[in-house]
Amino acid sequence: MASLPGAPSSFRLSSASRSTVFLLYLRELRSALRERSIVVNSILLPVFLYPLLLWVMVTGATLAEGMAEGTRSRVVVRGVPEAHVEMLDSLRAAPDVEVIVPLGAVEEAEDMLARGDVDLVVDFGIASAREAAMPDNFSVRLSYDRSVERSRRARARATAAVTRYRDRWLGRQARELDIAQAELEGFRIVSNSVSTERQLGTLLLSELLPLFLVIMVALGCFVPAIDTTAGERERSTWETTLTLAASRTDIVVAKYLFVATLGLTAGVLNVVGVFAAIGPVTAPITGSSAAEFEYSLPALAFPVVLLGTVSLSLFFAAAMMILAAFARTFKEGQGMVTPIYWLALLPLLLGQGSEATLTPVVAAIPVGNVAMMLRDAVRGVFQWPLILETLSVQVVAVVCCLLVARSVLRFEDFLIGAYDGSFWRFLKKRLITGAPRSVH
Amino acid sequence: METVVAEDLTKTFYDESRGEVCAVENMSFACRAGEVLGLLGSNGAGKTTTLRMLATILRPSSGTARIMGHDLIRDPEAVRRSLGFYSTSTALYPRLTARETLEFFARVNRYPAARIEERVSELVGRFGIAEFQDARVEKLSSGMRQRVSIARTVAHDPPVLVFDEPTVGLDVIAALEMQEVIRTLSEERKTIIFSTHIMSEAEKLCDTIAIIHRGHLLASGTLEHHRRCTGKHYLEDVFVHYVRGGG
Amino acid sequence: MPSFVLATLYRSELRMLLRDTRTIVIAVVAPLVLFPVLILVMRWVEQRQVTRVERTVYRYAVTGSHEDFAYYKVQGVINRETFDPDTTRAPAAFLHDRSPNPDSLIRAGAIHLVIEGLGADEYRRVRTRELQEEAGSDSVELAVIADLPDVPVIRLHYRADQDVSRAAFERMRERLEELRRSHRDSVYRAHGLVVGIEDMGEIGSENIASTERESGALLGLMLTPLLLVLMLTGGSIVAVDAISGEKERGTLETLLTTAARRAEIVNAKQLAVATVGVAVTLVNLANLLAYVVLGLIELPDSFTVSLAPASLVVLLMLFLPVTVLVSSSLLLLSGRSKSYKEYQLYFPFLLLIFLALAAAAALPGMDLRSAIALVPVVGVGVAVREVMVGELDWPFLMVAFASTGIAAWGAAWLTERTLSTERLISGAELDRADLVGGPALFPRRVLRWFGVLWAILLVTSLWSGPSLGLREQVLFNIVGVLFVGSLLMVRSYRLDPRAAFALRGPPPVAWATVLIGAPAALVTGIGLAELFRRFVPVPDEVIRSFAQFLAAGDLPVWQIALFLAVIPGVFEELVFRGVLVHGLIRRLRPVPLALTAGVVFGFFHLSLWRIVPTAYLGVLLTAVVLLTGSVYPAMLWHALYNALGILPVRMGWVSQDFDLPLWSYPLGVAALGVAFLVLWNARRPYPGLLASPGRLRAS
Repeated sequence: MASLPGAPSSFRLSSASRSTVFLLYLRELRSALRERSIVVNSILLPVFLYPLLLWVMVTGATLAEGMAEGTRSRVVVRGVPEAHVEMLDSLRAAPDVEVIVPLGAVEEAEDMLARGDVDLVVDFGIASAREAAMPDNFSVRLSYDRSVERSRRARARATAAVTRYRDRWLGRQARELDIAQAELEGFRIVSNSVSTERQLGTLLLSELLPLFLVIMVALGCFVPAIDTTAGERERSTWETTLTLAASRTDIVVAKYLFVATLGLTAGVLNVVGVFAAIGPVTAPITGSSAAEFEYSLPALAFPVVLLGTVSLSLFFAAAMMILAAFARTFKEGQGMVTPIYWLALLPLLLGQGSEATLTPVVAAIPVGNVAMMLRDAVRGVFQWPLILETLSVQVVAVVCCLLVARSVLRFEDFLIGAYDGSFWRFLKKRLITGAPRSVH
Repeated sequence: METVVAEDLTKTFYDESRGEVCAVENMSFACRAGEVLGLLGSNGAGKTTTLRMLATILRPSSGTARIMGHDLIRDPEAVRRSLGFYSTSTALYPRLTARETLEFFARVNRYPAARIEERVSELVGRFGIAEFQDARVEKLSSGMRQRVSIARTVAHDPPVLVFDEPTVGLDVIAALEMQEVIRTLSEERKTIIFSTHIMSEAEKLCDTIAIIHRGHLLASGTLEHHRRCTGKHYLEDVFVHYVRGGG
Repeated sequence: MPSFVLATLYRSELRMLLRDTRTIVIAVVAPLVLFPVLILVMRWVEQRQVTRVERTVYRYAVTGSHEDFAYYKVQGVINRETFDPDTTRAPAAFLHDRSPNPDSLIRAGAIHLVIEGLGADEYRRVRTRELQEEAGSDSVELAVIADLPDVPVIRLHYRADQDVSRAAFERMRERLEELRRSHRDSVYRAHGLVVGIEDMGEIGSENIASTERESGALLGLMLTPLLLVLMLTGGSIVAVDAISGEKERGTLETLLTTAARRAEIVNAKQLAVATVGVAVTLVNLANLLAYVVLGLIELPDSFTVSLAPASLVVLLMLFLPVTVLVSSSLLLLSGRSKSYKEYQLYFPFLLLIFLALAAAAALPGMDLRSAIALVPVVGVGVAVREVMVGELDWPFLMVAFASTGIAAWGAAWLTERTLSTERLISGAELDRADLVGGPALFPRRVLRWFGVLWAILLVTSLWSGPSLGLREQVLFNIVGVLFVGSLLMVRSYRLDPRAAFALRGPPPVAWATVLIGAPAALVTGIGLAELFRRFVPVPDEVIRSFAQFLAAGDLPVWQIALFLAVIPGVFEELVFRGVLVHGLIRRLRPVPLALTAGVVFGFFHLSLWRIVPTAYLGVLLTAVVLLTGSVYPAMLWHALYNALGILPVRMGWVSQDFDLPLWSYPLGVAALGVAFLVLWNARRPYPGLLASPGRLRAS
C-alpha cells in the first residue's frame, strides 16, 4: 500500500511524535498570544466584558434614577368635596407631586393632559346611584396618558397618596359603625419563603454559568480555529507547516490541542469573570451590597464543571476546525464557522428558566446536554448515569469529528486548498460524484 | 517636450520610535515623451516612495512634480488621469471579470464614455485576454492576471506610465513579456518610468538610468554617460561605484 | 463628469457584493431562516414549561396551633377553585399531604406549600425572633408587628427558587385574599352599611391615550435601536470589504492611482454601504412583518399603528442622517482597520456605542425640548419617540436632524482623510518598535495597561463597596493598584524612571501659578459639574453618600489632608501625568494628548457624574505638565485643588450645601487664563512633544 509520507494512519502517537506535537503546540500558542484578534476574543473579552457591562449597568441605573427624581408630577385636582379636602394635603405631602387645584372648564384640563402640559387629572365624583346611597361617599378617577412615561409615573405617585387617604377614611368609617379592627380584618395572610438568599443566588448562578460558558468557549475557539487553518493558508505558511519533518497527524493534533486550549482558557476565565461580577450585578436588583450576594457550590460541582468545559472546548475545537480547514482566507473561514456557532447556541434554549434536569433524551444532545449538566451541578443535582451519558455523547461527538478530519486529510487536493474553500463543494465532489482518491 | 518633471521631491515619515525618517530627499529629474527612465536602487532606497509620490498616493513633504503640465499637489486628479500606475501591490478586484475590470478602470479614469466599448475590445485583443475575458479574475492564473493588470494600467491610454518593480516575482518568460510591453509602449511615444534592482533589465530597457541610494539621487544619465563618468563598463560596477561614494 | 465616475464606482461595488454568494447567504439569508426557528423553539420551551407547572398537583401541608382554622380557610379556597366561574384558566389541583414533618418536606421539595395557622401573639413572637436573628434587624418592621390587630394569621411557606412552589403560593394567596375581601364585605353589611366596601371611596383610573398612541409609544421605543442594529449589521457586509478588504487584497492602491477623486471614492462606497444597509433593514422588517401576520410573533393586545403621512415623512427624514452617520462610521472603521480581521475585531464596539446611544434615548424622562436634541443619534431617538405619538415639535426636530447630520458629515470627512493618511494606506512599513521592543513598545501598550488597571479598580470597588474605610480605599486604589501598576510598567518596559515620571525641575514661576491656578480650576470645575448636572441629573442620594464618605467624620483633619489631598496629589500625578503622558507623548499632538489623558483620568473616577469634572481637572493638569515638563507643579496643583475642595466643609467654614456666587465663575475662568498665560510664557516644554499648530516647541 503506497502511502504519502506523513499521511495519517492512526491517531495513536508515539513518544517521539508526542514531543513533536508538544513543540508544534507551543509554537501555535506563542504566535496566538501575539495575534491581537485571538487575544481579544479568547482572553480579554471574557475578562473585561463583565466589568464593562457592570459599569454600563450601574451608570445607566444611576442616570435613570437621576432623571426620574428630577421630574415633578403635575397633577390637576377637580371637584374635591368639602368632606374630603384632606385628600389634597395627602397628595401635596407626596414627594415630587405638584398639585394644581381647579382651573377653567373640564375640557381644558383634558386637553392639557393630551398635550402633555399636565401629567394627571384627578376627578372627584360619585360614579353610581349605588355608591350615592352612602353619605359622604366618594369616588376618584385618575385620568392619565399611558403612552407617556411621566404620566404613568404621576399616576403611580398619586394612586399611592389617594389610597393612603382612603385607608384612613375607611378606618374612620369602621370606627363610626363600631366595627372592631379585628372583626374587620378576619385574619391575616403573610408569606415566608423558606429558600435562603443562598439558594436564590445559586439558582441565578445556575442559569447564567452554563449560558456564558458555552458562548465563551465557542467564541474562544472561533478565532483560533480559523486562524490556525484558513489563516495559515492566507499567510501561505500552510505549506511551510506541511513540509515540516512532522507527520501530518502530529500537526493536526497539535493544532487541535491548541484550539481546544484557547477555548478552555476562555471558558475558565469566563467562569472567574462570572463569579467576580455576579455579586455586583445583582446588588442593584436585590438591594444589597455586592459582598452580600451568596451562592453555594457543592464541592462535586467543580470537577463536573471542569469536565464539562473541557468536553465543550474539545468539541467546538474539532467541529470548527473541520469547517475552517476548507477555507482559503480568514473571511471564508469565518463564513464557514459562523453557522456552527449559531447551531451550538440553539440547544441552550432547552432548559432556560425552568427546573428541568437532565433526562436521557437531553443527555443525548451535544452541547445542550453539557449546559444542562452544568445547571444541575450548580444546583447540586448529580444524576451520575446521565452525567456519564452526557460525557460519553460528547466523547463520541468529538471522536466523530476527528474521524471526519482524518478522512478529509487523506485528500491531497484538500491540502493544497481546492474546492473553492467550500465544505459543500468538497462533499459534492468527493462523496457524491465519487471521484478517485489521491491516496490509495 | 518634457512630460514629467520632478523638482526636489522630499518625503519624511514619522515613526514612533525613531522620530522623523527621511525616505526620499530632494529628488529631481525630468523625462520626455517616448523616454524610458529607470530608477535603479537596492531595496529600501526610496524607489517605491518616489513612484508613489508621482502617482499621488503619497503626498510629498516638500518639493513637487508636474506630469503633463499638471501639478502633483494642486491638481492630483488631472495627474492621475494622465498616468497609469503598475506595481505588484496594485491588485485586481477578484469578483469582477477581466472585461469588466478594464471597463471599470477606463470609466473611473474618465476615458470618453462613447469610446470605452471600443477601447476595451482593443485592449482585449492586444493583450491576448480574449479567451478568458468573461472569467472572474479570482479564477485566473497569475500569468493571465498579469496581462489583465497591464491592460488595466493602460486602459485610459495615459501618456505617462509608471511601473514599480514590474518583474519582481515573475518567471523568465513573463518577465520577458513585461519587458516587451514596456518597449512597445515606449515606441508608442509613452513616457515610462520604472524602478528595478535588476541591472540587466535597466541596461536593456532604459534610455536614462537614475541611481538611487538611501533616498538620494546619486547620478542620472544614459548608460554611456555613466560609463564615461565612472570608467566602468558593467552597470553593476557603475552602481557599486556610486553607492560606495565614488564619483 | 463626477457623477459618471461615482456611478461606476457604486455599481461595481454592488456588483462585487452580489457575486459574493457566500457572504450574502450567511449574512442575510441565514438569519432570515434561523430567526423563526429560534422563535419556535423558544415558544415551544416556554409552552412546555407553563403546561408543566399548570398540570402539577400542588401538594400542601397544614400545620400550626390554629391548624383547624387554616384548614377551614384552605377548604374555602379549594371550593372557590373548583367552582370558579372564570373559565379562562384551568382550576389548580391542590392535594393535602398529611405526612409528619412538613418543614423538612418542603425543603426537600417533596411538597410545595406549607400553610401554617397561628395566633396573633404567637406570630408576633415568631416573627420578632426571626427579625432579631437576621443581621441588621429592621426596626420598622418590628414596630409594625407590635401593632398588629389580634386576628389569626395564616402564614404561607413556599420556596421562591422553585417554579411550582411559587405558582402554588401565588394561587393560594390570591384565593385567600378573595376570601378575606368577601369577609370584610359581609362585616360591613352586617353593621347596616348599604354600600359594599368596593364601592366606598372607589379609586379608578382612566387611560386617555388612544391605542394608536400607546402602540406608537411602544414602537417608538424599539424602532431606533432595531433599525440601528439592522442597518449596522447590514451595512457592515459592504463596509468590511470596502476599505479594509481592499487594503488587504491590495486593490486600494490600484484604486487610488486612478483619476477618481478621494471624495468620489468615499461617496460611492458610502452609498453602497447605505444601500445595502437599508436593503437589509427592509428585508428584515418585511420578514418580521411576515411573522407577525403568520402569528409567529405575538403583539400586545390591541396593537394598532396609524401614522399620519406627515409623521411618516418626518420619520424618514429623521432616519436619513442616521443612515448617513451609520454608513460613514462603518466606512471610517473600515478605513482605520488594516485588514478584514481587524475590522471584525472593532465592529462589535462600534455596534455597542450606537446601541448605547439608542438605549439612552429610551431612558425614561427624556424630553426633546432639552440639550438632548444636540446629541447625535440620541436626539433622533427621542424625536422618533415623540413623532410616533403624533407630536411634531418642529424647531427641536430640526435640531435633532442637524446634530446627527453634522456628526454624519464629520465621520464622512474623517473617512476621506483616512484615504490620504499614508500610514493607514500602506500598512506600517516603517515600524521599528516591534524590532526594538522595550521602551519603544511602551507607547502602544500604555492604554492597554490602563484598561487593565481600570477593570481591577472597578471590580474591587464594586466588591468592597462602602465596607472599606476611606484610608484603606485610598491606599489600596491609588497606591496599591495605580502606583504599583505604574511601577510594573516602568519595570517591564525598562523605562527610565526619571523620564517616565517626568521628574524634572520646572521653571520656578510655575510654582507661583499653582496658587492662582488651583483655586481657579476648582471654581471652574464646580461650575462645569453644575452645568453637567443640568443635563444629566444625579440622584441626591448618590451625592449625599459621596459627600459623607469624603467628610469622614471620625478622622482627624491631618489624616484627611494626607489621604485626600497629599496622597492623591503625589501618586495620581505620578501615574496619570507621569507614566500615562510619557506613554502617549509620541503618539498624540499636545491638544489630543491633554484631552485623552484627561478623559482616561476621568474614567478612573468610575461614576458618570464625576467623570466630567475630573476629566476637566485631568486636562488642565496634563497641560501644566506639558508646559512645564515636570510633574512637581501638577502635584502641588492637584493636592491644593483637593484640599480646597474638601477642607473648608470639613472645618465647618462653609456649610455642606454652600453654593458659589455666580460672579465667581467668570472670575475663575479669568484667573485660570492668567495662570496659563504665565505658564505659556515661561514654558519649558515636555521633551519629545510633537509639533502642533500651536508650535509648543521651545523656539
